[in-house]
Amino acid sequence: SQGVRQAQWLTKTKLVEGLPPPVLSILQDPAHQLEGYEEAVRRAVSHARFWSTTEVGPNREHYCPVLFEDLIHLCRTMAAKYPSLTKRMLARNYRIAATWERESILLQVRGLNGILLNSMSPIPPVASKEEILATEEHVLETFYPIYPTIDLQEVNVYKELNDTGKSSCFKDGYPYSHPHTLFFLESANVRTDRFRPEQLRGKMLMFAFGNALAKAKLLYGNDPKVLEQPIVVQSIGTDGQQFQFMVFQLNTTDLLSSDGIKNLVWIDSDQNLYERALCVPEIKKKVVMRPAGIHGFQPDTFKKFLALYLHGAV
Amino acid sequence: MAAFVAGGLCRAFGALLLSSVPRRALPLAPQAGQPLGGWLTAALRGLSGSAPLCTNDPMWKCRVKYTVRPVGMKKTGGRDHTGRIRVRGIGGGHKRRYRMIDFQRLRYEKGAPPEPFTEKVISVRYDPCRSADIALVAGGNRKRWIIATENMQAGDLITNSPRIGRMAVSANEGDAYPLGALPVGTLICNLESHPGKGAQYIRAAGTCGVLLRKVNGTAIVQLPSKRHMQVLETCVATVGRVSNVDHNKRVIGKAGRNRWLGKRPHTGLWHRKGGWAGRKIRPLPPMKSYVNLPRVTAQE
Repeated sequence: SQGVRQAQWLTKTKLVEGLPPPVLSILQDPAHQLEGYEEAVRRAVSHARFWSTTEVGPNREHYCPVLFEDLIHLCRTMAAKYPSLTKRMLARNYRIAATWERESILLQVRGLNGILLNSMSPIPPVASKEEILATEEHVLETFYPIYPTIDLQEVNVYKELNDTGKSSCFKDGYPYSHPHTLFFLESANVRTDRFRPEQLRGKMLMFAFGNALAKAKLLYGNDPKVLEQPIVVQSIGTDGQQFQFMVFQLNTTDLLSSDGIKNLVWIDSDQNLYERALCVPEIKKKVVMRPAGIHGFQPDTFKKFLALYLHGAV
Repeated sequence: MAAFVAGGLCRAFGALLLSSVPRRALPLAPQAGQPLGGWLTAALRGLSGSAPLCTNDPMWKCRVKYTVRPVGMKKTGGRDHTGRIRVRGIGGGHKRRYRMIDFQRLRYEKGAPPEPFTEKVISVRYDPCRSADIALVAGGNRKRWIIATENMQAGDLITNSPRIGRMAVSANEGDAYPLGALPVGTLICNLESHPGKGAQYIRAAGTCGVLLRKVNGTAIVQLPSKRHMQVLETCVATVGRVSNVDHNKRVIGKAGRNRWLGKRPHTGLWHRKGGWAGRKIRPLPPMKSYVNLPRVTAQE
């Protein structure tokens, strides 16, 4: 239950609830809406949850990626209005490696990331200068008597790697070089193999931080310092029904001490796209309680998804 | 004759194997596919997934590395290594997974100094393998299971200290101190007989012992059976009564519940009861001493 709090200490980050103001303004601007998006999203959910296999109800391994593909496709249709959206590329099975020191403990993030959306131009910083300076007084919370490195796997570090898959995926001169958004699909069938929402948020924070840090070290070198141009990486995690939205801004690579300027993260958690999607109607005592179909549909969640997608291009 | 000798040799070899393999090393090659497959897939699985409900592996007890995750158990049914029933009335019952309990409260982490440290109780839960409840505590970089005391709740802080000061410590419930540091008359549980051995006494639900007196370097404790026990004062015990205090007041209610607990019925044959039955009134057995005092013999 302490996933995000532990990740905050490890990445020296301050948490802000809700989405940042620039994203909210994209959300509310009617010019950025997709016409008929509600019907289109309903179709996408029905396709994923009902129509994608020949069985009555497809399982999560099947419908989670299908839903994600459909939503990305809907977002991409906005490219007709905003041509800069075409300057983006999706990368799958993307491997990230980033290393940093945190109060004399060497930490690193390694592994398969999920799906990464790259863009040619970086996202402009989301927080104002005053907010960044205000994080200086914020104190990171500690969990006495537990160390913040609890439950982390101890490994022997032979090579401190810091790259956005440079050795494996992206060579120098790759045009889409800025990480824009990370997508995490919790598509395991068994509930114990999936991450819980707060664990998923912690994982999203760690990987967003890893990507941002690797990019920062690439751009500005390995010395720890405060960045004048903060790097912003977004991240969306879902299990097919619930969405977690996160915007992470890397303000400093000086992570050795616990004071000074901190990084910022805006989290919007537990946004349901729909409450339930029934393949067969719910019948009790020969009376139909709820017909088959999508119940509790919330189009706002897709609007936030779209706003995060458009962020940086409008 | 030769077959008989060979059979004896095989049994001896089998006994040797079971006793002399303390660690879960490479499983002997062509035995059953089951233990080999289970171990390898568990190792390859890494950090995800949950433990199996039960194993067929006869060496499930030989796990060396401590883990918080529950470990699949193999039920014996009262049978010993020869396969015959040694204890009657055991068998069946709900499947259980064993949670490795750390009975040595003063276990320091790798690289930690031998000093007092605090831990935080994360949760208290039911343990199918014992009558008491267990608590998941975390401190430093590790988590472990311990026997919970009566009023332990999630979020409490408990201290473990090896120091014996001149003045007795006013101990809070759930803390672990050496007996020499506790005031006389405190209720204790999870007592160990030798320092560093791990708690073996007073672990059942609702039990508690009383620290009676402290005599030059040793302490005398009254166990729940009213027997007196003398141990060195550096032995560590936790303060308070063990959790699940109303365990003896529960009503089983039906025969089926006993079967769920793994107890098979008694035989229905009527026996006349002999000298073992009935109430006995006799003096307490002498005090059990786990302290090797040098024998004071009168020397001329």
